[in-house]
Amino acid sequence: MEIFNIYNYVSEEVVFQFIRVVLIIAVTLPIVFILRNWARSFFTKKYSTHYGMLAGKVVFYSGMIILIITILGQMGISLAPLLAGAGIVGVALGFASQTSVSNIISGLFLIAEQPFKVDDIINVNGTIGIVMSIDVLSVKLRTFDNMFVRIPNEMIIKTEVINLTRFPIRRFNAKVSVAYREDIGKVREILMEVAQKNKYSLSEPEPQIIFEAFGTSSIDLDFRIWAQVNEWIHLKNTIQEEIKKRFDEEDIEIPFPHVSLYAGSESKPLPIEMVAKAENLRNEADEADN
Amino acid sequence: MENDIWGTVSLQDRDVHFIDIGDLRLWLKYKDSEIRIAYCYRDEARGEVDEQEPPKEVRWVRWAHKNGHDRVRILPAFADLPLIVQSEYSLKVSPHTTIQVFSRIPIWITIALAHDDYLLLELPAIKMSKTWFGTPIEGELCYHTMTKARRDLSKLKPEPYLVSCPITISNKSPGALDFESFCFRVERLGIYKHDGTLWADETQITYHGEEHHSDVIMTGKLPEGIDKQMQLTKPRKQIHASLTTRTFKRLFEDADILGS
Repeated sequence: MEIFNIYNYVSEEVVFQFIRVVLIIAVTLPIVFILRNWARSFFTKKYSTHYGMLAGKVVFYSGMIILIITILGQMGISLAPLLAGAGIVGVALGFASQTSVSNIISGLFLIAEQPFKVDDIINVNGTIGIVMSIDVLSVKLRTFDNMFVRIPNEMIIKTEVINLTRFPIRRFNAKVSVAYREDIGKVREILMEVAQKNKYSLSEPEPQIIFEAFGTSSIDLDFRIWAQVNEWIHLKNTIQEEIKKRFDEEDIEIPFPHVSLYAGSESKPLPIEMVAKAENLRNEADEADN
Repeated sequence: MENDIWGTVSLQDRDVHFIDIGDLRLWLKYKDSEIRIAYCYRDEARGEVDEQEPPKEVRWVRWAHKNGHDRVRILPAFADLPLIVQSEYSLKVSPHTTIQVFSRIPIWITIALAHDDYLLLELPAIKMSKTWFGTPIEGELCYHTMTKARRDLSKLKPEPYLVSCPITISNKSPGALDFESFCFRVERLGIYKHDGTLWADETQITYHGEEHHSDVIMTGKLPEGIDKQMQLTKPRKQIHASLTTRTFKRLFEDADILGS
């Protein structure tokens, strides 16, 4: 019986070449991963999660490029003809992968322009979420109801992006409506007191009350209060409740939409005349049904 | 009463240790090798409270630690953020004039384990609202407080929850200085007790005009009659020889930024 001998099928040189490639991958790949993790954690600690992510990506992709070039070298594939052919192949690939290339280039612009960073809260076309990562092709968000959203970089470049946490403080605009009979001066005083007592409201920038409009059923005020960006949601949640509570205590009416009917004169009520007793009306209706 | 507040207390010796200072009420007790602390502010529990038992709406917070130490150190402290001190009445300082005013600032209370100074809790004696010192784009979070900027405190009744801070203001500019509000970096001040009153070391503010930064120096100089032995609390941050920072507020004047 003949013993299996690999050298009958491939040359010794190819086997050694294969072993060298495997060894290079086995040694380099863990090093690249270790370096990526180190860079990510070092820059995260020293600067921010955003820079940690960027540093990790730079190390990882640089390592992978070096690894591929080394492997090609080991396999005896020269880079010169590859690079020469890259122009023609590049054109062909460019047409084939237009969207991907556009996303990659958009990703570079996003990283350079920095409209947002990792951990920022952004609003893209109505989708609000925390930025998890800015990758080569897309931006990954986690929404507040814990959903994963992937938005292509190209789309982010083309659409309006609202960064909700870019600046340290943020204003909340509370729409407050009061009845026409209320004293606006007193309402202003109460609102300012509410803002002063609210634990999330900032004394400065000072809260503002803007007389918005004479509404159909109410006088509409725009009550503007500032809070730290991370406490904005708490301010929104508490201040409106506190306004309602104080208005109830002070007997300030928050009117619901209503329509007043006048019969020619605003001082007289609508004339109502009883034409028949309810019982008679019911009997008439029963007879009509029969 | 105020003389009894500060210092080391053994909680095992009593059922409940009660503290009433400013708007804050604190109950401390030692049970099952744990230190338990409950607190509330005056607006949260109106009227008289039972010194032996907190109201129902107030919850005990428990600390379990190694060796079951029962001794706590209760000390006053300055706020953990700078203060924007606003003068109740505007005070104008003439050009090339130096004056001294006193600002009485609400304190915080720190409760730490006596044997290793492990901080259990720190609370303001009265609730202070937060404010922003800077522009809407950058700045820092501060507390907001009012002062009468008095020139003399001798006739005032000492309050255990207020620390008197002497502030020397030098107006070196050719124009008048309108002393309305300023950023007081209290984390660089120590607290001293003298005659039942809490005092801080001196702060010196030199104003060079609107176009220049003001110099704020925590001189470390103590008010008359006070010496280092009377120190209750060290500054939260080390005092540097000179702290140059923007002190007087010329902010938020641009209504276009905020009003739009």
